[in-house]
Amino acid sequence: MSAFQNSIGRGYVVSSTYLSIAIVLVIFIVLFISSYDAFSTVGWKIFTLEWNPSKDKFGVLSMIYGTLSVTFIALLIAMPLGVLTAIFISEILPEKFRLYFKSAIELLAGIPSIIYGLIGIAFFSGWVSSLFELATGRTILTAGILLSIMVLPTIITLSEDALHNIPKKYREVSKGLGLYPFETITKTLLPIAKNDIIGAILLALGRALGETMAVMLLIGSIDRIPDPFYNFLAPGQTITSKLGREIGESAFGSLHFSALNAIGFLLLLIVITLTIITQFYFKKEDRL
Amino acid sequence: MKKNLWIFCIPFLFIACSNNNKTVINASGSTTVLPVISIAAEQFMKTHPDVKIIVNAGGSGVGINQVGAQQIEIGMISRNITEKEIAQYPNTNFVVIPIGRDAVVPVVSSEIYDAGIKSLSIEQLAKIYRGEIANWKELNGPDKDILVIDKEAARGTRHVFMEIVLGDKEAEAAGADLVLGANNEEQTAIVQSDAALGILSNAWMNKDVKGIAIIMPNGEIIEPTLANIINGKFPIIRDLDLITNGEPTGITKEFIDYILSAEGQKIVEENEYVSISK
Amino acid sequence: MDRKLKNSIFKMLIWAAACVAIGILVFLITVLFYKGFQSISVDFLISESKNFGSEGGVFYQIIGSVLLTLCAAIISFPLSLGFAIYKSEYVKNKYLQNFTDTIIYSLNGIPSIIFGIFGLILFVNFFNTGVSWFVGGIILAIMILPTVILSSYQSINSIPNSYRENALSLGLTKWQVIKTVIFPRAISGGFTGLLLGLARAIGETAPIMFIATAFSGVTFPNGLFEPVSSLPTHILSLAQQATNPDALENAWGSSLVLILLVFSFSISAFVRRLQYSKLKY
Repeated sequence: MSAFQNSIGRGYVVSSTYLSIAIVLVIFIVLFISSYDAFSTVGWKIFTLEWNPSKDKFGVLSMIYGTLSVTFIALLIAMPLGVLTAIFISEILPEKFRLYFKSAIELLAGIPSIIYGLIGIAFFSGWVSSLFELATGRTILTAGILLSIMVLPTIITLSEDALHNIPKKYREVSKGLGLYPFETITKTLLPIAKNDIIGAILLALGRALGETMAVMLLIGSIDRIPDPFYNFLAPGQTITSKLGREIGESAFGSLHFSALNAIGFLLLLIVITLTIITQFYFKKEDRL
Repeated sequence: MKKNLWIFCIPFLFIACSNNNKTVINASGSTTVLPVISIAAEQFMKTHPDVKIIVNAGGSGVGINQVGAQQIEIGMISRNITEKEIAQYPNTNFVVIPIGRDAVVPVVSSEIYDAGIKSLSIEQLAKIYRGEIANWKELNGPDKDILVIDKEAARGTRHVFMEIVLGDKEAEAAGADLVLGANNEEQTAIVQSDAALGILSNAWMNKDVKGIAIIMPNGEIIEPTLANIINGKFPIIRDLDLITNGEPTGITKEFIDYILSAEGQKIVEENEYVSISK
Repeated sequence: MDRKLKNSIFKMLIWAAACVAIGILVFLITVLFYKGFQSISVDFLISESKNFGSEGGVFYQIIGSVLLTLCAAIISFPLSLGFAIYKSEYVKNKYLQNFTDTIIYSLNGIPSIIFGIFGLILFVNFFNTGVSWFVGGIILAIMILPTVILSSYQSINSIPNSYRENALSLGLTKWQVIKTVIFPRAISGGFTGLLLGLARAIGETAPIMFIATAFSGVTFPNGLFEPVSSLPTHILSLAQQATNPDALENAWGSSLVLILLVFSFSISAFVRRLQYSKLKY
């Protein structure tokens, strides 16, 4: 009986593991197969500017540009803000408030992205358009700002963990040497926590690249690189917003559908590579 | 405690899956046709409690694709099906049933309308969408850049408008600044801006979103009124259609017949479209 | 520049950053709760939506969201437990360990819209299920797998090896050890992870908007392969008509309901985590 149970049990855990592994592989295979059409017919021309399904032109450069610039703005804002706030929580805030503060920030991380989109449409787009006197507040900058708020909690929580995990003695020694808190932080603590903070930023980067809903509502969805290219006050298009808006319109099995899958597949490859690199950055706990 | 939770969950799923023998009709597609169909569906379900009609948005392209893939019973479209789309689904026999008529109207922000831009010619519209006119000043309006709003490529409103204005339903609009989807999303963007030009169905205008008249080549100015749509004077007119795979049968037919009945056509008119009988 | 000045500038920077971060936090919470409570009522919770969602309530949206998450939970929980136990108790090979890690991490990294596209291709079109809440549930289940697996794995992994050895030396078979020692811990850790995963799943729009939800006319689904409506997709359609004051009001109301659901999941997960972190062997 127990031998029987033994094999049933083993069967259960083995099959659920293989099923999960199979799911991941199937996701890759399915996406690859359905983008194969586009890769083989469009080929390198996918890296051009013009996207016009009715003429079978599928250039994705403007979407890649949009994704990169939105992510760049998001990190440009969230990185200093996040790391400095992490320093504040770990080094300045009294220990007893720390947990409340961190819980609040973790709750913030849980706000669904569609709600950020709603807030963006209701407030941010109006603010951006009146601040810069633009005809529309749906710009690359607006999407970037919103995105920075969305990835902020990730950066704060993980960087704070890294700083907080540094043993007290480092701070005491620094203080004993007569260093100012500023010097303790920049010369002692940050170098120690550096790897973990980079990990946090990479994780935020992965999230920013794949974010869909808020960006889709706010970016203006036009397949164009603004002129000049650093004019972030113009509307644009990201890979995710393109997918969100067009995938339903394209017929299953058409070249258009396949081309959309192809950019999805590109995004998938980029983000997964990033995530895997990041996750292996963090040390793994060993069994006691 | 955990076990209790699971016990709570399982009957819930059973309720959800239990078949209460309702006939389900799925409809999907154009946001222009959507208001008519969802209200008609509500009314129809009152008299037919054993029927459930699920209505989904997405645009004409989505409606055609899903009928083509035979995933839904009724597609709502506000443009013609293209050759390419018919070729895409050789196993589907698209049947088109007109249920009303509508105009596609160029619309502007109320600030522009109040500043005196109340009519434009097709030529001027084409120049704006091609990017040759970029400021309202060139049209004797205020000195503001035009925020040109385009629609997603498969949207019915866009096909109809571009066919008449730029001569090709899938023409690119180089002058466009934003590309949006549903009618209400575009309406929102026009209200939020003070210098926008967009294209909307006739039924979606309000005090902040003003439809403008079209100047015909002979100089006549045609207002986007229901009368001008009925008599065919307004140049950008289209049918609002339902599509099915093969002639509708059974409850689907009953529902479509209801929309075509006097009562159904009243719903069409209440939504500010023109009844098919006129 | 002398050190003291640098120090004070740096301090000011930190305070400024903290103020901005707190400001954002306060702004978000105030807007969501203030606007939300203004437009929420019992009636809002129990009536169906009308006129593009700008009138009426969100009853069927709540039902739909709960249904999707429950389905996701029921599918992903057993799968994750099995994976976690296998990884912790059976995999001895270092390369295999790394491989399973990579699988979990890649799944964790897939952008949510890609899950939606995957579901659209494989289920909705290839298996021709049409738009269906059950497919949505499966996709959400796949999406939260890594969260549940990791949480369950970590709590199994914190069981000292001596426990396993003692149990084995008492003559128990491997599966009996797992059943008596490992399984209870796996369930409890997995449940915390499940709560976290559901907090994410219930708020997701991108994975379900093409494959599981419909706009109007949705009541209790008749079967597995029928669309439902959900809170996030409802907010999406309301956000697109944000200048209509009625629609906007209902959007804030729906957001508050959604946020309260998300928070109730994540707060219970935090509380459980706190309780168990006190528990030591």
